[in-house]
Amino acid sequence: MRLIVSLFPSGRRLPADIGELLSDVLVRDGVPLNLYCGRRGVCGKCFVEILSGEVPPGDESERDLAREKNLGLGRHRLACRLRVQGDLVVRVPEQALIPRARILTRGRGREIPLDPMVRKVAVRSVRPDLQSPRALLDGLKAGLGLSALRVVPEALFEAAGVLSEALESDSPVTAVLGAGDELRGVERGNTSSRLFGLAVDLGTTTVAADLVDLGTGTVIKTAGGLNGQSVFGADVVSRITAAFKDMSRAAALRAAVLASINGLILELSRESGVDPGEIYETVVAGNTAMSHLFLGLPVDGLAVAPFAGVFTAAPPLPADRTGLKINPLGRVYLSPNLQSFVGGDVAAGLVATDLAARPGNVLFVDLGTNGELVLKTDRTMMSTSTAAGPAFEGASISCGLPAEDGAVERAVLRDDGTIVLETIGGGPARGVCGTGLVDLIAAFLRRGDLAPDGRILRLEKRLAAAPDLFLTASDIREFQLAAAAVKTGIRMLLEAAALNIEDLNEILVAGAFGARLDVENAAAVGLLPRLPGDRVKFVGNTSLEGARALLLSSRERLRAESLPRVIRHLPLAQNEAFQNIFIKELPFKPWPPDEAPQAPRKEDS
Amino acid sequence: MTKDIFSVMAMSVVDGLPETAGELARSALAGGTPALEAVEKGFLPGIRKVGELWESGEYFLPELIASAEAMKAAMSVLRPALEKGGGTARSAGKIVIGTVEGDIHDIGKNLVAAMLSAHGFEVVDLGADVKLVSFIETAEAEKADIICLSALLTTTMIGQRRLIDLLVEHGLRHRFQVMIGGAPTTRAWAEEIGADGYAENANAAVREALELRQKAAP
Repeated sequence: MRLIVSLFPSGRRLPADIGELLSDVLVRDGVPLNLYCGRRGVCGKCFVEILSGEVPPGDESERDLAREKNLGLGRHRLACRLRVQGDLVVRVPEQALIPRARILTRGRGREIPLDPMVRKVAVRSVRPDLQSPRALLDGLKAGLGLSALRVVPEALFEAAGVLSEALESDSPVTAVLGAGDELRGVERGNTSSRLFGLAVDLGTTTVAADLVDLGTGTVIKTAGGLNGQSVFGADVVSRITAAFKDMSRAAALRAAVLASINGLILELSRESGVDPGEIYETVVAGNTAMSHLFLGLPVDGLAVAPFAGVFTAAPPLPADRTGLKINPLGRVYLSPNLQSFVGGDVAAGLVATDLAARPGNVLFVDLGTNGELVLKTDRTMMSTSTAAGPAFEGASISCGLPAEDGAVERAVLRDDGTIVLETIGGGPARGVCGTGLVDLIAAFLRRGDLAPDGRILRLEKRLAAAPDLFLTASDIREFQLAAAAVKTGIRMLLEAAALNIEDLNEILVAGAFGARLDVENAAAVGLLPRLPGDRVKFVGNTSLEGARALLLSSRERLRAESLPRVIRHLPLAQNEAFQNIFIKELPFKPWPPDEAPQAPRKEDS
Repeated sequence: MTKDIFSVMAMSVVDGLPETAGELARSALAGGTPALEAVEKGFLPGIRKVGELWESGEYFLPELIASAEAMKAAMSVLRPALEKGGGTARSAGKIVIGTVEGDIHDIGKNLVAAMLSAHGFEVVDLGADVKLVSFIETAEAEKADIICLSALLTTTMIGQRRLIDLLVEHGLRHRFQVMIGGAPTTRAWAEEIGADGYAENANAAVREALELRQKAAP
């Protein structure tokens, strides 16, 4: 017997099977339910209100969550825990939906010499003369002034029709040529001024794309949106878990992200008048899990130690094989992954910032659920990945939010001791995102509400940011754990390179988190070292910017592809010293400029 | 021995001072204080106090570790005397602990091991990325009471379920109590897979393990 779940107030009726999870019923019908923790029933984001119908009572942990969120007893249930046993009427509150996120599209650019992998050349006529009869493709080759022309298999069929037509009407054609004078396609008429490429930043949370004129290198239009995989969970691990040992779920994840990117392509096309068929080249920069899921490749190897992906650098792929709706004869290039957890987004970041060529010792930092770090010195490049956990992205913090409308992103302590909050979108504060958290903790430390070891020094064991916005003791502890993971990564990289903090010429902070991070406060809580002058720089969305560089320049591609060979990876968790340094880094304290990383203290008794 | 000395012993653990704790233990033995008394009236109340401070949010991991180290220092001095002195060093129970295969995270597990051992459990720590059969083989060889399984990834949590299934398959389920933990795990998960105990942090693990042993007592 099929059951009906009705949505209030829209009245939409969704079919359901007995015993089916309510979240599956809702998501199947396109409700963008926020399954932040990947259906584990621990984040409490997917509480819906049961307006009528019989439901079994929630378990104790669900009741605790409901209490924490001040939800009415009994009527609010976690959609990811509730198995439908009868017809229901359900109200899905806005808080249970995936929020509109702010998408960071701009990096701080550097000039990239224009040298794309694809070009267009017009040929006035392919008509052979009677003295030397020859095939149409030979006529094209002669017209192009080439001694050899390699035709990619799929292009033959398309070229045949266009060339025959051109022969009859004696009209011009335009050849689309890839690397090594490979013929990717032939278009009617002279279209040589219209050749476009797409740069994609494939983030776990958001997807952003630049439509680029490959003739001039200019960005015509930028679009952004959420990664449609969000309904499978907010962070990378929950996506990997969703696809783990289940190829049909992996296929669903692939379809979701393809729909997101193809949606952006349509939007860009509509707003710019560029036909998707005029896009012959796409570069996608994403972390290792995202690039695997985008291709529909298994991520099982990424799910458990020793964490092995299928590929680091994938060959350029035919567009129609990837499912991207650009010209089917176009190519899709993936920014190379450096390591299992240092992905193509970081490689793109290194390209965008030209890390390898920067003078001196430079630390590149990208903070998210995983903190990715790359240290460049005069002698070596090293990377590492730290499991910072989701605190910087708002999860695991009681009032935490991702960087979305209503999230506190800045907090300023005034001289009179009051704290002024700034929210994204300027509306009332609904919660706190990562940068706001850094500011608040710095303010509480400065005001003496918080001891450097993380103890709350107020009688009331929580700290008010606003009359109804609090940080609890456990929020502070979660932040300490996240920050200590990053600090430990930085310490161990420096130690491996035999450098002190003051030896760093620059720290480059990338990503959405970096865009609004306050340098002073980040230093006050000890998250980042304090360096004199403006040696700490925020470099914005370097993943998109790097993807664009890889789109515009074949030389940059070669350099990116050499990165996995030249960057040494430093695994942290297996390192003996990790635990000792991590524990030592838990207290809030600025990095003393003269303190070299110390060997772990062992007190044997 | 005055009551005052016992509270100094307790404070050496609360303040996390391994050298002081070891020194106090040595001078207690030299002064003729029975080892059992030093443990039960001095150091053990100290580590219990640490548990309370953790619960109330006063203490965090660095303090917890320092205190566990201090306890360890005192016990390593007192243990030989306890065993020799006939006043049997009553073990709270024997525990085999490790992080399940495919999972390399082990800080949390190390803390649990340290706190269990500070509370008088005999702990065999197999480390991280431990094959499931090794848990069982070791538990059998060591005649352990409890097997503790840590998993820090949603993809490796399944190892906790598989271990319990393995115990059942081999007819060994009644022999060992199984306790689980790790960031993604919950009490509901523990119940679902039929584990005997669950703890979300090192202090809770001590409480849970003590309760489990009490339940098992005839």
